[in-house]
Amino acid sequence: MAVRVEYFGIRHHGPGSARRLVEALDALKPTDVLVEGPADLSDQLPLLVDEGMVPPVALLAYSKDAPERASFWPFAVFSPEYQAVAWAVEHSVPVRFIDLPVAWRFPPEEDASEGANADEVVRSPSQGGGLSFSQRIARDPIGVLADAAGYEDGESWWRDVIEENPDTGPIFAAVADAMAALRESEADVPQLEAAREAHMRLEIAKSAKSAQGPVAVVCGAWHVPALKTKHAAAADKALLKNPPKARIVATWAPWTSPRLAFASGYGAGVAAPGWCKHLWQARGKDQGTVWIGKIARALRAEGQMVSTASLIETERLAVGLAAVRGRPQPGFEEFREAVIATLLFGDPLLWRVVERRILLGNAVGAIPDTVTAAPLLEDLQRQQKQARLKPEALEKVLSLDLRSQAGLFRSTLLHRLNALGVRWGQLTDAGRSRGTFRERWVLEWDPEYAVQLVENLIYGTTIQRAASGRLMALMKGADALGQLADLTFSAMTSQLPEAAQRGIDRLADRAGETSDCLELLGALPGLADVMRYGKARRMNAGQIADLFVRIGIQGALSTRYASRNLDEEAARAFRTALQQADSAIRLAEADDLTDTWMSALEAMVTDGKAARLVMGGAARLLYEADGMTPDEAVALLGRMLSPGTAPADAAAFFEGFFEGAGQRLLYDAGLRESVDRWMTSLDGDVFVEYLPVFRRVFSALDKTEKTRLLDALLRGTHRSSTRVLVPEAEAIWPDHFAALTKILAGGASHD
Amino acid sequence: MTDKLRLPAEEIYGAELKALMATDKAHKPKGWAMSPQAAVTYLMGGKAGKTTITPKYVGNRRLIETAVATLATDRALLLLGVPGTAKSWVSEHIAAAVSGDSTRVIQCTAGTDENQVRYSWNYAQLLAKGPSREALVPTPLFRSMEEGKICRLEELTRMGSDVQDTLITVLSEKMLPIPELNDAVYATRGFNVIATANDRDKGVNELSAALKRRFNVVVLPLPEDMDEEIAIVSKRVGEMAAALELPAPKNVGEEVARVLAIFRELRGGETLDGKATLKSPSGSLSTAEAIAVMVGGLSHAAFFNGGELSADGLAAPVLGAIVKDPVQDKAVLEEYLETVLKSRRNYSDYYSALTDLI
Repeated sequence: MAVRVEYFGIRHHGPGSARRLVEALDALKPTDVLVEGPADLSDQLPLLVDEGMVPPVALLAYSKDAPERASFWPFAVFSPEYQAVAWAVEHSVPVRFIDLPVAWRFPPEEDASEGANADEVVRSPSQGGGLSFSQRIARDPIGVLADAAGYEDGESWWRDVIEENPDTGPIFAAVADAMAALRESEADVPQLEAAREAHMRLEIAKSAKSAQGPVAVVCGAWHVPALKTKHAAAADKALLKNPPKARIVATWAPWTSPRLAFASGYGAGVAAPGWCKHLWQARGKDQGTVWIGKIARALRAEGQMVSTASLIETERLAVGLAAVRGRPQPGFEEFREAVIATLLFGDPLLWRVVERRILLGNAVGAIPDTVTAAPLLEDLQRQQKQARLKPEALEKVLSLDLRSQAGLFRSTLLHRLNALGVRWGQLTDAGRSRGTFRERWVLEWDPEYAVQLVENLIYGTTIQRAASGRLMALMKGADALGQLADLTFSAMTSQLPEAAQRGIDRLADRAGETSDCLELLGALPGLADVMRYGKARRMNAGQIADLFVRIGIQGALSTRYASRNLDEEAARAFRTALQQADSAIRLAEADDLTDTWMSALEAMVTDGKAARLVMGGAARLLYEADGMTPDEAVALLGRMLSPGTAPADAAAFFEGFFEGAGQRLLYDAGLRESVDRWMTSLDGDVFVEYLPVFRRVFSALDKTEKTRLLDALLRGTHRSSTRVLVPEAEAIWPDHFAALTKILAGGASHD
Repeated sequence: MTDKLRLPAEEIYGAELKALMATDKAHKPKGWAMSPQAAVTYLMGGKAGKTTITPKYVGNRRLIETAVATLATDRALLLLGVPGTAKSWVSEHIAAAVSGDSTRVIQCTAGTDENQVRYSWNYAQLLAKGPSREALVPTPLFRSMEEGKICRLEELTRMGSDVQDTLITVLSEKMLPIPELNDAVYATRGFNVIATANDRDKGVNELSAALKRRFNVVVLPLPEDMDEEIAIVSKRVGEMAAALELPAPKNVGEEVARVLAIFRELRGGETLDGKATLKSPSGSLSTAEAIAVMVGGLSHAAFFNGGELSADGLAAPVLGAIVKDPVQDKAVLEEYLETVLKSRRNYSDYYSALTDLI
């Protein structure tokens, strides 16, 4: 070889490695920088240090014909690879990727995702958790070494063992030695990995031949021993015969800091990206103090009282802990335990509140405007073509018949986009009582949606997968039954059976946990929708029906106690929930449930302990469902509105019964008479007090209805009707007029 | 074997402490009997030369490290947790390791007043000679400060809040003023305080924020892992049965596993396989209660059941541990029996014994 080739075995996303790498590059001054990464995407590298590029970002490559096959290469500011590229661009040194071209990563068979590699994420939900030891060691050998030494975080180990080692020696040589030792026991290099290393060796040789000065190779520490050993070029070339063919599209996508964490399913991720970023930003400064300050700020933002004196104690304890553990300085574990003991009174739950923000961070990357076309957008364009829908900025109404293939396709697309938070189409008549095979949409495209689609890339690379992934993520976070039911419904309308099943499972779990009546009742309308929708689409609705009945029965049984001792606001909410649950139960035609429901309503009416507003509501529902004869209803009204009842109670019952149902009074003479008798028996003051209640009840009537009600009262054929129109009205009118004028003038003079 | 029912930790494990001190090479803070590392080894178990150190605490090593490191920074340590999570046990052993003496204890109760925390007077002396150091009766706290040892406060929160606050000066300024003599006791190096408290029990007083801030708090959790808990219960039951000279039937291990399974399901609010959610009773169903249930069962077996440990004998203490509130907890247990235990064949003896009793 003509020139010197230096190998820098780094830890992916390790700030310690990054710092050392920059120092080493400054010292070496290479004329050629080679970075582990897909060789065919080298032309994307200069963009990485573009002004508009804010890490964390990911290089994204996908197959043009099958966008669901995609790989990401995330870069954070503390990634050694990023720093290597930045260094090269800054010093005008050519930089390129040397790993296998992307196409190699998309094996022809669908099930071959086993070959997924260290710095790549194949978006499949099952990935991340169950890695075998050999896979883990290849992905993050330093993490595994740290683990073996009892560290939770590879960065602390790297710092303690390598960087803080008093004998400062050639660090990268030491790492390479450690890796060589690790790989000695390696039995068989997997085929793809052998090919990768062969490719890298060939590329390095190519650079070494043509380069003018030293060549720097930046790759995962794991690969260094394999790259250093000499292999016959012919053997390497043999490994690379018959490269797979795929049309690859590459672009950049904004990434998020939590997605750099190992826990998010990213194989080469780190335990705590927030900590890594902190180490990078605070390098050379007082790292521990700054870190404690950060935690203190987050805790204060959560309303926790954190005094400065306690912070001093936190740092002392962290240092003490590190000493007990024989570590040169505290790492994030020591700080965590010190914070819990000194600031949070030993309560790890409080720590969990801020843990996410502190350890994972909430940074979102940005990409320059010049970068375009992400797979979701492309998928959308393809589907738009297929659905013959054009994105237009002006509103457009679209009516769909879901019984036709085309209609269903369009509806599914719009629903899926909605599930992704892209509200291109708004469903206008979401009325629950209407037929389920017709939908009316208002379409309006906003350029903003493109951005949202790119953001949704983290859930999947096709619209279907991303929608399913996002709904499932939301379901994981949702606890309220009603919310879960709604999410399940949108999974069904979006034709995402996996997400729908997940939603149903979550619902069943949560239903077992909750005993809150309002929550149970609140789930029923959403569930009824799911059920009816399932029936109309010939889906397996049996499970949902069972769940509906189960939640309904639980809810019905809990109403009796839940309806007691409510204040006005709570009673109003309860009555609304009761009404919605009732119409859901009727719509769902769940026969098993109806009896329990009716007796629950009856119990609320008869035992006299429910809040009066709720009691009125329950009585109305019972009356409408023929659970109460008209005579009984009149008797009940009479009793509840009788002078013996406190006026406030009577008014509440009245409101509960009639709000939203003033028309009842038009047709039901018995009811009308009871109400009439009660109203006329009220004292003037009390009557004025209840005017708002009456207004709420009667304002629902339109003008003709009001006239008819008045007519019915005045001209009522009923014998007991005592009021009639005065025959000689004209004669007494002047007196009335004078009295009225006087009142009005008096009122005016008070202003 | 001595006639004493129970000896302090430093006497029972004297040999282990001696071996640790002999082999201890790490830095020893002033006033400490051994280094913090050795103290952690004493609690968690390990080796000291040729001597095997038995584990005193089975659980998260980090918690014990935090506790010992706290004492090394001269901050006071508060061990918090629900009843039966080995708080007093840990406190005793840490004191034994760090000071070589775990007997300076103040048992805090609702009746504890300031005189029992700071100092009181020998009134005969006081009348004869007037206020003087001779007339002063020191408390364990007072003595610990003078001698540079660890003072243990048991059940700190059971003491009235105003009395608790007496500790503030001691903890922050490491001195105890004696205004009557215009004097003060200044703590010698090695002095510190370990308090235990439980925060979720009836009849406890809130810790004032000022006092809480002066403690580093370590919460001792209930064991997360079933096998770990079985190990703890089996070990303690074995020790206690030996001390009480109760014979241990063969099936103890098996019954411990079954009783703990019931305890853990009810405590955790779901079945062990995670398939069904359950309601939890009001009691804490701690490991200590499981130990008490097993020891009660062993005693019943030895004296009344011909040495045979059976579900019938264990059902009564199990019921007593679960049903603390006669209405609510009974309903919870009934639901558990009917929905979970009834369908488990290997628990049919517990099901029938508990159903009979309830």
